[in-house]
Amino acid sequence: MCVLHSCHPTNRRMRLDPLDVRLLRELENGLPLVPEPFEEVGKRLGLDGAEVLMRIRNLQAAGVIRKFRARINQRLVGISANALVAWKPENTMKSAIGPLLAAFPCVTHCYERQPVPGRWEYTYYTVHHGCTRDAVLAEVRTIADQIGITGYAVLFSTREFKRVPNVRIAENGSDLT
Amino acid sequence: MPDRIDIHILDALQDDIPLVARPYATIASQLGITETDLLERVKRLHEAGIIREISPVLESRHMGLSAGTLIALHVPEEKVQETAAIISSFPEVSHNFQREHYYSLWFTISARSEERIGKVLAEILERTGISEKDVLDLPTVKKLKINVRFTFMPPHKQEDAFGSP
Repeated sequence: MCVLHSCHPTNRRMRLDPLDVRLLRELENGLPLVPEPFEEVGKRLGLDGAEVLMRIRNLQAAGVIRKFRARINQRLVGISANALVAWKPENTMKSAIGPLLAAFPCVTHCYERQPVPGRWEYTYYTVHHGCTRDAVLAEVRTIADQIGITGYAVLFSTREFKRVPNVRIAENGSDLT
Repeated sequence: MPDRIDIHILDALQDDIPLVARPYATIASQLGITETDLLERVKRLHEAGIIREISPVLESRHMGLSAGTLIALHVPEEKVQETAAIISSFPEVSHNFQREHYYSLWFTISARSEERIGKVLAEILERTGISEKDVLDLPTVKKLKINVRFTFMPPHKQEDAFGSP
């Protein structure tokens, strides 16, 4: 049986032991900026650096860690235009459009969502970032032209009230794992 | 403002960090600078707030967050600030933006079940006094892509050999 994601091996849930949870909680504060950061993290947990690395590799292989990278505040480097674009595909192209939208390198997020019948018929959403609104609009128009879709709404952000990682062990730990 | 070396560092740090004992030394050697120089620059970029932190991105389904939705609210401009503050106070909310549209507040809710999301949303509506007719609830059907990576260099500069004048 293959329903949505369930046939993909990385989507089987891994059982995290308490030490994995403590390790992830430690890492969510940021990898220390010292020459041997994994050794440093290990000291706080009573592990050596090699064991920390092994646990991280296992969590990555199991799909628990999707990426391990720097989070950048893009506004401070001039990328200040942000748009959520809602797409309303015509009936004939409904299921094909998601992968097409996701394939554009400039799209950072692509989701399929349920519509609100009669009030909001959009079903696909993409997120775009750029230095100017014009640049973002040009990018969105190119995508619309290439896919051949006319129904879409560009929603530029004007204020950012909250932007944190989706999973925060320290903040919502009791509700996790 | 970040200089050219900083830009290369920001670019490199958006890839997966090498899982070796001295990851900064590995990155530094790829960029042709010393580990000490790299660490000093990364600390400076961190203090400036440009680098928030270097951390793992966790797959929400593995962490028990299997349900998600995007909510849009129609909120009168004079009530946006206080409404947004109430919404942001919920740990289940990770993103909360004002956008230029009739539906002016857009936020995400993640939780262990759709039932739990329903409860959080009901509580938000009750505390903000927003009525059902001003709400769009857009549950996630499928995540097709999450790949946040910023390009700071114009495309023709990206292959530019680093270190050349």
